[in-house]
Amino acid sequence: MSNKRLYRGASIASEDSPKLTRADVLVEGDRIIGVAAKIEKAEGAEVIDCSGRILMPAMFDIHVHAREPGQEEKENIATCAEAAINGGVTGFVMMPNTAPAIDNAGVVRGVLESARRTRIGAGIYTTGAITKGRNGEELASIAGMKAAGAVMLTDDGFPVDNPQVLRRAMEYARDFDLPLASHCEVKELSGKGAMHEGSVSYALGLHGIPSISEEICIARDIRLAEYTGVHLNIQHVTTALGMETIKRAKDRGIRVTCEIAPHHLIFNHEDIGSYDTHYKMNPPLRTKEDNAALLQGLIDGWFDVIATDHAPHTEFEKNQDFASAPFGITGLETALPSLYDYFISKGIFGWDVIVKRYSAEPRRIFKLPPVPIVEGGAAEFIVFNPERSTRFDRDFMKSKSVNTPFLDKELKGMVERVVYLREELLSR
Amino acid sequence: MKPRKDLLDIQSLTDEEIEFVLENAVPFKDLFRRSVKKVPTLKGRTMLTLFYEPSTRTRSSFEVAASRLSADVTHFDVESSSVVKGESVLDTVETLEAMRVDYIVVRHKQAGIPNLIAKNTAASVINAGDGWHAHPTQALLDGFTLREVFKDLRGARCLIAGDIQHSRVARSTSLLLRRLGMNVAYLAPGSLMPREIPREIPQFGNWTDALEWKPDVVYLLRVQSERLDEPFFPSAAEYHKNYGLTDARVQILRERGIYLMHPGPVNRGVEITDKGMDYEKSLINQQVENGIAVRMSVLYWLRPGAQGGES
Amino acid sequence: MSPDSTQRLLLDKAAMAGAIRRLAEEICEKNKGARQLALVGIHKRGVPLAYRLADELRELKCTDVLIGTIDITQYRDDLAMMKMVPKLEGSDIPFDIDDAQVVLCDEVIFTARSVRAAIDELLDHGRPARVQLAVLIDREGREFPIQADYVGLHVKVGTSERVFVRFEEVDGDDAVYVQTSTAVK
Repeated sequence: MSNKRLYRGASIASEDSPKLTRADVLVEGDRIIGVAAKIEKAEGAEVIDCSGRILMPAMFDIHVHAREPGQEEKENIATCAEAAINGGVTGFVMMPNTAPAIDNAGVVRGVLESARRTRIGAGIYTTGAITKGRNGEELASIAGMKAAGAVMLTDDGFPVDNPQVLRRAMEYARDFDLPLASHCEVKELSGKGAMHEGSVSYALGLHGIPSISEEICIARDIRLAEYTGVHLNIQHVTTALGMETIKRAKDRGIRVTCEIAPHHLIFNHEDIGSYDTHYKMNPPLRTKEDNAALLQGLIDGWFDVIATDHAPHTEFEKNQDFASAPFGITGLETALPSLYDYFISKGIFGWDVIVKRYSAEPRRIFKLPPVPIVEGGAAEFIVFNPERSTRFDRDFMKSKSVNTPFLDKELKGMVERVVYLREELLSR
Repeated sequence: MKPRKDLLDIQSLTDEEIEFVLENAVPFKDLFRRSVKKVPTLKGRTMLTLFYEPSTRTRSSFEVAASRLSADVTHFDVESSSVVKGESVLDTVETLEAMRVDYIVVRHKQAGIPNLIAKNTAASVINAGDGWHAHPTQALLDGFTLREVFKDLRGARCLIAGDIQHSRVARSTSLLLRRLGMNVAYLAPGSLMPREIPREIPQFGNWTDALEWKPDVVYLLRVQSERLDEPFFPSAAEYHKNYGLTDARVQILRERGIYLMHPGPVNRGVEITDKGMDYEKSLINQQVENGIAVRMSVLYWLRPGAQGGES
Repeated sequence: MSPDSTQRLLLDKAAMAGAIRRLAEEICEKNKGARQLALVGIHKRGVPLAYRLADELRELKCTDVLIGTIDITQYRDDLAMMKMVPKLEGSDIPFDIDDAQVVLCDEVIFTARSVRAAIDELLDHGRPARVQLAVLIDREGREFPIQADYVGLHVKVGTSERVFVRFEEVDGDDAVYVQTSTAVK
């Protein structure tokens, strides 16, 4: 890899404007040393033709299940990192619902050590559980986990059922300056639900998870956050009303951020068809009306971040009847092409939304510097070719698991290069 | 008519396919009057019943139907007490594939299991009831029975009463009757009425309003109180008084010449009383007889290895 | 009619009626004194033939004639190979087959597989005293050792030729014709 590289003729994306800027980008070492409409002199530089391509800051995913420790048949941190790179993501935050859970300093250190050995080690972070073993009863070793490097607390996969426990956890976490992320649902209302409670769950004869389960919990957690002053991050929002509640809270100045997953913008409960478990996740796909409201929310700026909730499961596990199959789909590799194919290519929103919500703001939540394409900035960006398409077959995907609705399907656009400081991690 | 491989639900059938199955059931019913009630149609084929939930009625109906078509009939004994998870269902299917069974009739308490099995075998799969989802042969025999009574079903009215939320019969039969042109309405306590049902179905919370809708047929559903894990209604007694077919209500049916149907078996004292079972315009026995003819018609039409059973 | 085939008329309406009348006369003669004659038409076109024969036999004041129809679909030896599943017409035999004098009726006998199927079905209805076969057209090409007792017309046709019988009740007009396929198979 040459120390000096000139990326010529690219269309630069930024969070400030949907307009792309035609420019040449000169990289030396791990820095961008020049961004200009035309860079004539670049001796010793390897020239890379980027005409027709988008050059954008690399992405950062704050909701990823790397399944290590304990569930390595589905994924491990190394394969998760490769899957991320394959999708143009150079940093992510791991969830603690592993076996054992990430609920003390030792496990935090363990997963971070594992992360350091990957090609994007410096960009991988971890959450810690709110409660011991995610049991919703006793607080986990919050101080210890913070010292070991945890960046956020969550019992993801479960809500914290007992509001008094959640309240105490928030009060305690606030002093350690740790944001608290909530997987919002009321366990008793969700019951044995396998999908959204509605006309499709009725027709398919499946237990449903009603929208009120998420809506009520979002309202509860926001009130607790306001009462305690902690920074609350609401994970994977799926309901229009839930989003409304968050909007109103932000208007009132409460410190709440929220995530939207690409699949909740793209798919709805009708896509489940004839019990296809590739469309089973929690929280579930809801209605077309929810899709539309959430999309508008993203465009209007009510969602702080896009986060995939990358949740690998083995084919064996997913190949069961719908009620028994585990919840979750992968997302790291398909996120950008799917957002491009379904929205950007159709002019529904622009590249600024992706850069802001899937690159800049996710980093800001953890007080990490964003990586815009500017002179002097870190060389951490991707080259995306809208003219090529990506076929997500087993050979292409780097994740150990293939549980995605895009399996063996083609999406417009392809991540061609991933530039990470001194190296190109990917080039095709 | 092009054959299908599987019969998993009513939703995926075209109107022509429904007509085909119902019309062919007529000569199969005529067959019962012969001394030799058998035809050689499925000679040498094997039908296997895979019932994860016990059911003597449906199972024997299928077995008689298959025998009358000269098929060999066998039953796969599944441990009724074992916790049956998805993977062992597929293990069973692999075993059946190795035995080269032609038709598999499946009943399971989990919705979608027949669909899963159908995807994983070349045999023809017939759904004999999967959880709350579907019971297509029940729907077809219900439609067939009503056709015998009404000839032209268009505009006729059927009131389905009982636990609509958990009833696969409410889903399949309701859909089929509507496809045949009937108007369908539901009567159920609020806690058992699903939130999202097709708009064209009127909903009633009491018998008075329901009977004002002037149904031609009342279809009673089983109330499976043993299966209900949440408090949907206070007691069987209260259920019977408010939502069951009391003797007084049977009298109203008698006065108006309204027919009565039930998928069986009947919960005496809950949906209906002992006396109510003797109601002259009850079609319950006809339903049972027609069940065999309709299942023969279905077995005549399906073909292992044919193109798809799902839409 | 496709451009790859030609048609030639064998019997027009009058000639067909004549053939049917002669058939009836023959049946009457050979079954004099039979207590009960039962004509059983094989779906599809054996049915109108059976009804017309019954009319003729009544006109001839021959004997009491019973009428039935059978749908041999479920007894066909090629049912499993057919691409489409045929609609069932159903069999209708409103009398007791036991001890009956049955005359099976079909419009054409060719391979004789249909007749084999018809006999097997008949036997599942009861035990007839005697079964005879009446056909309007007899053409070469037997695949089974079965012959007709009563034949309206023997026809010699080649392997690429097919004989079609049209009945007004089913097809709108009466005619018997031969279709030759000139297409290279």
